[in-house]
Amino acid sequence: MNLVGLALRNLKRRPVRTSLSILGIGLAVGSALALIALSRSIKDGTREGMDEIGDDLIVMQKGASDIFGGFIPEQTVERIAAISGIVRVSGELMMFAPSAPDKSVIALGWPDASYLWKKVPLREGRIPQAGERHVAVLGDTAAASLGKKLGDDLDLLGESFRVIGIAGYTTVVNRGMVMVPLADLQEASYRPRQITIVHVNVEHGSGRLDLGPTREAIEALGNVTASTASDVLNNDRNFAILEAVSLAVSIIAVAMSALNVLNALIMATQERTREIGIFAAIGWSEARIMMSIVIEGIMMCAIGCVLGVILSFAAALAFPHIPAIGNLISFKPSVGLIAPVLAAAFALCILGSLFPAWRAVRMLPAEALRRL
Amino acid sequence: MIQLAEGPGVNEPANTAPLIALRGISRIHDGGAIAALRNIDLQIEAGDCVAIVGASGSGKSSMVNLLCGIDYPSTGSVLWQGQAVQTQRSWTRLRRDSIGIVFQEFNLIPTLTVLENVELALLGRGMAAAQRQARAAMVLDRVGLRPRLNHLVTKLSGGERQRVAIARAIVNEPKLLLADEPTGNLDSVSAATVADLLFELSDKTGMTLILVTHDDRLAARCARTIRVRDGVIVGDTRDATASAPIRPAAAS
Repeated sequence: MNLVGLALRNLKRRPVRTSLSILGIGLAVGSALALIALSRSIKDGTREGMDEIGDDLIVMQKGASDIFGGFIPEQTVERIAAISGIVRVSGELMMFAPSAPDKSVIALGWPDASYLWKKVPLREGRIPQAGERHVAVLGDTAAASLGKKLGDDLDLLGESFRVIGIAGYTTVVNRGMVMVPLADLQEASYRPRQITIVHVNVEHGSGRLDLGPTREAIEALGNVTASTASDVLNNDRNFAILEAVSLAVSIIAVAMSALNVLNALIMATQERTREIGIFAAIGWSEARIMMSIVIEGIMMCAIGCVLGVILSFAAALAFPHIPAIGNLISFKPSVGLIAPVLAAAFALCILGSLFPAWRAVRMLPAEALRRL
Repeated sequence: MIQLAEGPGVNEPANTAPLIALRGISRIHDGGAIAALRNIDLQIEAGDCVAIVGASGSGKSSMVNLLCGIDYPSTGSVLWQGQAVQTQRSWTRLRRDSIGIVFQEFNLIPTLTVLENVELALLGRGMAAAQRQARAAMVLDRVGLRPRLNHLVTKLSGGERQRVAIARAIVNEPKLLLADEPTGNLDSVSAATVADLLFELSDKTGMTLILVTHDDRLAARCARTIRVRDGVIVGDTRDATASAPIRPAAAS
């Protein structure tokens, strides 16, 4: 018999309460992990998508709150292309566009001559020919999600597009996109001669790539900013809000689980006041008595955390099947994600255990022994 | 083989001070409304066998609680071997190493086995688990519970439970064994067995025994009897013929 054995025996003594407390911790930890992973996965997925496109710089309207939120004139593309050291550029109009009644997709509009068309990893069909209108190339996940195949008609922003190609991108975000000619998307969205971003590739010399001068030259054109994909995402207000909300909800969930432990242990120690008096009467120190109670909290937390991690993995499998957002999510539980959440859960559970433990040893042993 | 030390003062320097003493002790409850003990002076010598007797509510248990530090006096002090015991930590150490307590209600942990209940008193003494278990088993053997080691205490009779409590109280080889109405919840046969066990332990090991009882026959087996009434000591007598011999006849 040791303190761990004693704690285990006490937890088994009230199986329903112990199970419910552990379930509470598990759900809280699972929710926290799922929420944080969700926000991270959307950001990471977008970053991976941008990397797959292969931009060195992305040009946006100065002060735009997010990647969808700024508009720049289409002719800016030519002015950027004229800057020394830039090898290719392409404008892009990007937006969430309604398609089927309850579905929306990320729609991208590219100019006919854009190099981006040539980089599309076609799995089936073809890319639009110069001047061809009302045609679309779908990422394979988007095609599957919308139930479209080559030759089908796709409704986008109230306009009809014929599916002429299916792309086999590797990243989750790109697999869920729909690419159409820029002029069609501008017309359908009432954004004539406007684009949201400019993709920029610069000349890669033999040495380390210094994007600074190119950025300065682009930004000197006025009312635009040039950033790397990472900077774009880090400055994106939507992602910032998503991360803040996820973190706040996670903190609340984990704090609730600590309160759960606190409540369970307060009840347990109140019921066992007499036993705590016995421990004191046989010469257990306050520290030892407190430790025996805190160990109970830690054990509940440990089992709850294991349950939480299992639940988060289950969520990882389930998220991609959520119709509205599933094609944007690539949930990857990692040590870097799980460790801080578990550390926070343990820290809060230990704090939640210390209070009932402290309360228990405050009472005089003689008084504790008089309790029923 | 682990042995309980027998005889008083084994390997210890002589100490002329009483083992434990109460000096001007009062215990007031409810803001002065109830005086459980009033201005008590008492000293107990090492190796003594003392009965504290009195009616219900007379203050006997309050005195025992103060003698083992599970309650604090409102005024006065408790001295252990001449030194005032002033902190909770000091009392905890004394209860761990030098004072064993047997309660009327047994006060065992119901979810644990007989062996585990006794082993609990050895936790925190730096002993390995196997050593703790061997020692607990040896003491339980001594109180006649060897066959019941792995039984839950809830499966035992009252007399057996009290013997577990006695084993737990003596497993640390205390200098002082306090027994608060140890036979109060037992039938007459179990009561006699438990009483015999306590006197035998006191006699063989030389440990000081303070026995709280309202049973005059049990008190008569102690060398010294202290009578308490309304929180005051009203009698303190010594019977040279008692000296805690084992009296098997009591069992019958």
